[in-house]
Amino acid sequence: MFEIGRLCVKIAGRDAGKKCVVIDVLDNNFVLIDGQTRRRKCNLRHLEPLDKIIILTKNASNDEVIRALKEESIECEEKKEAKHKQSQRPTKKKAVNKKLEEAKPKKVKTKEAKETKKENTETVEKAEKPETKKKSVKKEQKSVE
Amino acid sequence: MPAPRYRSRSLRRVFVRVPSGKSVLHYRKRKPSKPTCGSCGTILKGVPRERPFKMQNMPKTFKRPERPYGGVLCSKCTRVKIKAMTRQ
Repeated sequence: MFEIGRLCVKIAGRDAGKKCVVIDVLDNNFVLIDGQTRRRKCNLRHLEPLDKIIILTKNASNDEVIRALKEESIECEEKKEAKHKQSQRPTKKKAVNKKLEEAKPKKVKTKEAKETKKENTETVEKAEKPETKKKSVKKEQKSVE
Repeated sequence: MPAPRYRSRSLRRVFVRVPSGKSVLHYRKRKPSKPTCGSCGTILKGVPRERPFKMQNMPKTFKRPERPYGGVLCSKCTRVKIKAMTRQ
């Protein structure tokens, strides 16, 4: 009854109610199926045979089976190619910081940069010094009074 | 004697082991009845028996078997039903 090309309906499991074709007979109890279901080994107890037989070769490929079923007006979802999915988890902070650091242009110490730094510091010191002097003068005045 | 509100058996009693090592009596609400098959009435497998607040936090795949009529009919009744539908 379960010869190659027999159209069946799966009764048990998560593919229950879906149509499939027998591709290979493995054993007295097991066959290989493909179609609307996943391509897998299946117990005969989990199949309900229909009255149609599709002409297929032994171990026919998934594309061939889908094409044959389309002719019988049974539509199957084409299996998508497994792509390398990028994880949707938030990336760790350390890794992000590393990437940012790499992207930044590195500081190169040159003579010019050093000189400009020195000039800046000198100007700041000059600006601060008179204030300190004034404070000291005020303190002296207070002590005299 | 337990407090008057705990004297009836409407709450179930659970022994809880506390960090100090003692076992203490706690009172909790009873679990709902076991889910049954819609056609034959047998107890369904793969469906947890928990209060709604626990069921809410569970993923969908934990709450019923992942086949047509999962969580409604038992596996035997689904087979019979699908067979009948295909033979029509």
